[in-house]
Amino acid sequence: MADDNIKIVSFLCNWCSYGAADLAGVSRMEYPADIRVIRIPCSGRMSPKFILSAFREGADAVWVSG
Amino acid sequence: MMGNLLEHVGVERDRLHFSWISSAEATKFVDVVKEISDKVRALDTDKKFAKEYTK
Amino acid sequence: MDTCIEKIRAICADLLAKGEVQKVIGFAEGSIPMASRPIAVTSKDDVEKLVFNATCGLNLANYVSDALPKEGKIAVTAKGCDSRNLVTHMVENQVSRDRLYIIGVPCTGMVDKRKIAALFEDEITDFIEEGDTLTIVSAQKKEVVSKKDMLRHNCRMCTHRNPVVFDVMAAEPVAEQSLDQPFADVDQIAAMDPEARWAHFQELTKNCIRCYACRNACPLCYCPTCFVDESSPQWVGKGQDKTDINTFHFLRAFHCAGRCTDCGACVEACPMGINVRDFTRKLNKDALELFGWEAGLDMEKRPPLDVYSPDDPDDFIK
Repeated sequence: MADDNIKIVSFLCNWCSYGAADLAGVSRMEYPADIRVIRIPCSGRMSPKFILSAFREGADAVWVSG
Repeated sequence: MMGNLLEHVGVERDRLHFSWISSAEATKFVDVVKEISDKVRALDTDKKFAKEYTK
Repeated sequence: MDTCIEKIRAICADLLAKGEVQKVIGFAEGSIPMASRPIAVTSKDDVEKLVFNATCGLNLANYVSDALPKEGKIAVTAKGCDSRNLVTHMVENQVSRDRLYIIGVPCTGMVDKRKIAALFEDEITDFIEEGDTLTIVSAQKKEVVSKKDMLRHNCRMCTHRNPVVFDVMAAEPVAEQSLDQPFADVDQIAAMDPEARWAHFQELTKNCIRCYACRNACPLCYCPTCFVDESSPQWVGKGQDKTDINTFHFLRAFHCAGRCTDCGACVEACPMGINVRDFTRKLNKDALELFGWEAGLDMEKRPPLDVYSPDDPDDFIK
């Protein structure tokens, strides 16, 4: 990919992956800065609308994680 | 199924990812972010579903 | 198929006279040939208005919830696909079984009106159906064709021609078709490379005027506020922007995942002749392959995207 600034819109469940992201942060782990995190109250809050909406606003990819 | 339909209309499968990570699995989180980032970087830049706003 | 209309009329007249149902939803002759329209008949004197022929391609399940009175029952004539959509409505708690009187009509398929219109250069003035023979007349000429050759694509691919649920049948069940390749059209698109698939769908929807006729004709689309009409947040723009058209068709199709019965009402209603089934057919194929599911066959089972099962495919999750 030519453009180095890629954006991966990430929908993270408050109780699972968001917690993992937090733990990764306080543990000072390094990971690519390509993700843009959106916290959702539960993976059940996820909707196909959100995914298309993210692509619509120019996301390179979408990641849904419970 | 949504990934399948996206692929069917011609959007690469690697643009939509799903995963399941417990809040204790910080290492898995980091691994998955790396994996997704690599996969997305390997794709072309064209954004098929992106709206071109005219300002 | 015209033979069973007398029986349908007799059943309806009887039901209305006895007051068992408050109205009957069926088809009536349109203002021009081949334009059958849905009608709600409330008096037994009006049952003569009811027709049933190979141009009744819309799905009557779509009109049931709106036509339902506060109390009492309504009757509805149902082809194979209409009955499957009635089941879907009942499974999704849109209407309860005891409010409906279903008059099952075995179906041998509906005709593709665009295909017939393409045979003529001028306006069609008459359409007569006798068994498998269709006689179509215009000012310039008269064509006699076989109904089999003029069937809509979804009717050629139909494996549920007889109603799956009914209170009374208007005719003897017809033989079901068995297909070697039920999803040949989907496979054909799937065989293309991604760019060609994208181009195919761009070409397909390029004439879309965003009239939402496909949505309005679809019995699955009953949300009080459709996502296209929501403004805060606005999921999709209202114009003919390419991205908006793509987003609309993609989401409309996805909302039918695991629910679509391939009744063809969307294509029937489209004024621009877009085969929007190219989207939903893929979902139907996936529903069958991933979940062994065909919509509207069983009143006891929940749709696959409605419930969790430990056997659900999960190989897409990391």
